[in-house]
Amino acid sequence: MSNFWFGEGLRKGRKTEKFPLAPPEEPPLWPSYLDGNAEPYCPTEAIKEGMWDPGRCIFCRLCEPQYKPTGKQGIFQVRKTQPLLKKSFYIYKLDSGACGACNVELGTIFDPQYDANRLNIFMTNTPRHADAIVVMGVQTERMKEALKNAYEAMPEPKLIISLGACAISGGIIGKSPMEREQYHVEIAGCPPSPYTILEALSRARGV
Amino acid sequence: MHYKFGEPAGRYLGPGGGYHVYSGSISEAAPQGYGDIHVHKMAAGEFNFQYGPSTGGLMESVGISLTTPGELINSVGVDPYFKARELKLKGQGIETALLMVERINGFHAASNSLAFLMAVEDALGIETSEEVQKARILQLELERIRSNLEVMKRMCEPAGFGVPTNQLGYLREKVSRIISSASGHRFFFGVNAPGYASIAYSGINEKLNVARQEFERIFYALLESKIFLNRLQNNGVTKDQFLSGPAARASGLRYDSRLDSGLLPYGDTPFFPAVREEKDCFGRFSVRGEEILNSIDIIASLGNLRETDRHVSKAGDGEGCARLESPQGDIFYYVKIRDGKLEDIWHVSPGVLNVRAFQESMKGNIFTDFHFNWESFGIWISEIGVVIR
Repeated sequence: MSNFWFGEGLRKGRKTEKFPLAPPEEPPLWPSYLDGNAEPYCPTEAIKEGMWDPGRCIFCRLCEPQYKPTGKQGIFQVRKTQPLLKKSFYIYKLDSGACGACNVELGTIFDPQYDANRLNIFMTNTPRHADAIVVMGVQTERMKEALKNAYEAMPEPKLIISLGACAISGGIIGKSPMEREQYHVEIAGCPPSPYTILEALSRARGV
Repeated sequence: MHYKFGEPAGRYLGPGGGYHVYSGSISEAAPQGYGDIHVHKMAAGEFNFQYGPSTGGLMESVGISLTTPGELINSVGVDPYFKARELKLKGQGIETALLMVERINGFHAASNSLAFLMAVEDALGIETSEEVQKARILQLELERIRSNLEVMKRMCEPAGFGVPTNQLGYLREKVSRIISSASGHRFFFGVNAPGYASIAYSGINEKLNVARQEFERIFYALLESKIFLNRLQNNGVTKDQFLSGPAARASGLRYDSRLDSGLLPYGDTPFFPAVREEKDCFGRFSVRGEEILNSIDIIASLGNLRETDRHVSKAGDGEGCARLESPQGDIFYYVKIRDGKLEDIWHVSPGVLNVRAFQESMKGNIFTDFHFNWESFGIWISEIGVVIR
């Protein structure tokens, strides 16, 4: 049976896409960059005075047809990079109050289509071994301490990354667990697509 | 409202909104035996091991307390309220409330949003076309396939079974892309409205048939792997009758809302409930695998679907509820609407019964059994740890 699985692994061949060196093979429409310039109703005020703030956007489609998705991925903002981590970047995920969608999409970047390991990005089970903490979900009372403890347990240099609208701005559900300026990287989306997450984490390493 | 308040009738679905919900009624009375939970008294040499709320081995934040003398687990306590979110749904219009309901459990957004919308339709007397009903079955079955693939993948992971873990992950992502190309969103957000579903059917069957062949090869090979089966068999045996979804069906119980809810035309499809007698992780694993294959058959039987016109929300008053079979089990929503706004809303998550059953099933097992058993129930904490205001 062990030979079967070895053969099975080989039989399938390489399934990993070339992204981010090549364009995404199957990018989702929602979320992606929006194109428009009107003043439609927006439940999270992500569209205000003609400006679109991706960090507030939950990509709910209520702004259609004034705003349209372009399919373009990479909806993130990097405020600080850490080139020291270029060859080995360990992330620790912290679910402050997520609906589960961000949790799944973060895990997806380690699936064969994306294979984050080939970009030297790894998941760690403890903040003591982490280079970056990835915060997901809204602020919840009992997770405040867990977030603080996890952050303090991480060695320097360290990055704080917000994943998804809830962590960045509170989205439609509540309040964000940290002030927006405290995040070194903002990955927008509700939830962000695996393409966007992969590119953002890669860029956070200064690559 | 098609549901009635009164005496307990039918099987128990769980507590919600200060009531106890059964398959045939909403009652103030809990079922007999539901409160009989054995409280473990610490014995000499035992200690409490706290796992979570935040650790890499868990998908979501959850507090798990294990009482053990070293290796044997004598008692387990699960606290799903570490990341309890407060959702301000009461007083909201249907459109805004739907955005929040979709995010109660993002991974099972179709189940949650459709149960909510069907409760709204029940309250406001909105009729749905056959096209919309079929489009809803399509969403629910696609969600079930993906969710079961995720659970099966996570059951292979603690065994260090790299090839099937990655191949199931690959298939799970393939299904996410099918959902994305059919509905525009990988999690069905923004797809549904009262009396309406926006999903394109074209090409789904062909893609699913390719995925089916790949899945069958992995599934049947896993069922022949003695090393893997040793980790699942007799692990997490449930003796409880208060179970929901695949966990119930793996314990010989023919519990499935697709059989007895009557809200969606499953009778016109080749649906059959996969029932097994093992009551352990192996039974739950097998049921999920069989359900994936059955869901693909159900989708194939739906025929071609057209997109329906967007329904304009109907203002009005009323009380309604709906019950659907989510990938975790029976999901139930109750709504009371006044002037088009939610005056009251509550839901019952299948996770509540399954957490209870998990706790009981873990006693007498050892630490290395833990992850297989936890994952086999497919519990989503986000759906339980939510407070609706």
